[in-house]
Amino acid sequence: MPEQERFFNDLVRQYSEPLYWHVRAMVGSHEDTDDLLQEIFIKAWNALPRFRGDSDPFTWLWRIATNETISFLRKARVRAALTFSTIDSQAERISDPSPYFDGDKALRALRKAIATLPDKQRLVFTMRYYEELSYEQISEITGTSVGALKTSYHIAYEKVKEFLKTND
Amino acid sequence: MKKQMPYSTPDGYFEGLQNRLAEIPARRSRINFMPYLALAASFALAALAGNYILMKSTASQPASDEEIVEYLIDSGMTLAQLEDAVYDY
Repeated sequence: MPEQERFFNDLVRQYSEPLYWHVRAMVGSHEDTDDLLQEIFIKAWNALPRFRGDSDPFTWLWRIATNETISFLRKARVRAALTFSTIDSQAERISDPSPYFDGDKALRALRKAIATLPDKQRLVFTMRYYEELSYEQISEITGTSVGALKTSYHIAYEKVKEFLKTND
Repeated sequence: MKKQMPYSTPDGYFEGLQNRLAEIPARRSRINFMPYLALAASFALAALAGNYILMKSTASQPASDEEIVEYLIDSGMTLAQLEDAVYDY
């Protein structure tokens, strides 16, 4: 097996599951996450010849995944605008993707609150809150400064808190 | 706020996912460009054949002076340009 293919298979073995949860936290639906993972790993395979060995594979892969996910969410928003879907119905889709939703009422409300955040705030929030990544790691993945990320997380956190309070 | 992700996946999903993802290198290398090349070649061949047939049919039937003048009139030339063209011809 060529070296490149072996490395790719190692990435799949090591990162496909955590990457699934990274994407799922952003998009909600299992089916959308599954499609996105295929796209992400195809992009990774195509970009592998340009991958420098001294970079961290985790950061590199998460960067590809994050860009793909943001792009997917943008397209979904445009599609929703064209079909006159409301923001609420989009949030509902993200927060309530049955049949693979196991949460109670509180968790459902939290997912709904996260779904109302703008894409970048949602990204920072989910990476900090669910994945517990450091600001430095998120900064490397997103190319945003640590200071800006802290501000973004703080704003997102307050918005989520406010949403939960008003929708209690 | 609870920190737990409230989602689940179908049974055995991650094993299946890993297998599908591991197939990507083989699938990508199987993509060959032969069908696209064949399509491009057939378009080029059709264009060449069409051009050949057109050239042959126009070359075997030389246009008359009237046809040339009609063509020039239809092309929107002014009378002066037309007279010059006919004179030159």
